[in-house]
Amino acid sequence: MQSEEEMHSSPEVIDAISSSVAVDDWASFRDDDIMQQQTAIKAEEADKMPFVGDKEPLSALAAEYQLGSPILQEKIKILEESYAAIRRTRGDGNCFFRSFMFAYLEHILESQDEAEVARIRACVERCKKTLQTLGYADFTFEDFFLIFLEQLDSVIQGHEDSISDEVLLIRSRDRSVSDYVVMFFRFVTSGEIRQRAKFFEPFILGLSNGTVDQFCKTSVEPMGEESDHVHIIALTDALGVPIRVVYLDRSSCDNGNDTMTFSTPSEAMFEKDDRKTVTKGLAV
Amino acid sequence: MRLRIIESWVVGVVTEPVVSTFYREVRMSTPSRKRLMRDFKRLQQDPPAGISGAPQDNNIMLWNAVIFGPDDTPWDGGTFKLTLQFTEDYPNKPPTVRFVSRMFHPNIYADGSICLDILQNQWSPIYDVAAILTSIQSLLCDPNPNSPANSEAARMFSENKREYNRRVREIVEQSWTAD
Repeated sequence: MQSEEEMHSSPEVIDAISSSVAVDDWASFRDDDIMQQQTAIKAEEADKMPFVGDKEPLSALAAEYQLGSPILQEKIKILEESYAAIRRTRGDGNCFFRSFMFAYLEHILESQDEAEVARIRACVERCKKTLQTLGYADFTFEDFFLIFLEQLDSVIQGHEDSISDEVLLIRSRDRSVSDYVVMFFRFVTSGEIRQRAKFFEPFILGLSNGTVDQFCKTSVEPMGEESDHVHIIALTDALGVPIRVVYLDRSSCDNGNDTMTFSTPSEAMFEKDDRKTVTKGLAV
Repeated sequence: MRLRIIESWVVGVVTEPVVSTFYREVRMSTPSRKRLMRDFKRLQQDPPAGISGAPQDNNIMLWNAVIFGPDDTPWDGGTFKLTLQFTEDYPNKPPTVRFVSRMFHPNIYADGSICLDILQNQWSPIYDVAAILTSIQSLLCDPNPNSPANSEAARMFSENKREYNRRVREIVEQSWTAD
């Protein structure tokens, strides 16, 4: 009897001790400690996964979910009908923008579509004007615009600064280029949302229960904030680059994969679970 | 009196030799240094009310700044000194900002570091030095009691505003005499 009581009581004692220790820890745990811990976790993630992964066959994805939900396996099969390969992107909250960057630049590199480059340049110029009209100081965004335009120029072949697809991949993995381009897209997205605040307001209200300004400040402009439909609509509208998002989730796949098309179908694609990019351009 | 204090701290903000030192530094420069140079220019050309700041001699990565307590508040008349330490990751990462002057505020730690979302997870390169200092200035009168860094100040702010204001006035007076 006694021993049973002991057995009952001892875990509680341990609980009490450990929770009081935890409370003390929390009291001395400051914001910069939390920041440091987050940085450490991110660094650990970075070792496991580059910003943009290597090209993998879809069978790699299938193998990963072999023991998982049959619906997912079915959806991967459907995916194989339209896509040949997959690239994963790091799940650091910037994956949509990074996928978009790589897929778009790779598309230009492969197609050498100079008309498209001229078109996107005009869009970028408009986005710049939008930000100026909204009262952003030029020097806060111009470096980011410049670095995107440099990448755009360099994927067009036949110039001194032209780069190969390997170099494009290296740059997409290099923080000093990649993060700048991600931030460029964040500026473009925020400018578009603010400029068309009336249009986006009801969606933002439903998503975050805050104002358009708050949404842009807290969910678009800081690095590492994940993208949702609002971001995707704003970016694809601002740049006039259509994308298709295919969801690999566990909802029924009776009618094929859930697909969201933003403007007309094209290259980039990313999964709802935030980690994988497939570029249709790879399905050569 | 106010002016004397700022000048001794911010080392004559626009003196020519200082500026040319920075330009020399910018020549061998990185994106973060170039950007800081432009932050500095903007702060000189279009300084927000009640704020001043400048890089320390020969080091554009370390700035001194002064924030004046906003008028018609308990902070009125205070001249609060801060340092801003930047890294090569700026503007993709925020600077480390610390009050050098002693403070009594719900969101400022005993060592002067500041609990403010835009200096942490809500940082974005859209903020320049002027915007950072303006945000800190408005934090003075508009604390966020949900993330206390000084629990005594936070408690006093919500439970005993009179005593809180008295403590703030003390800090304001100390800011005149401190080095």
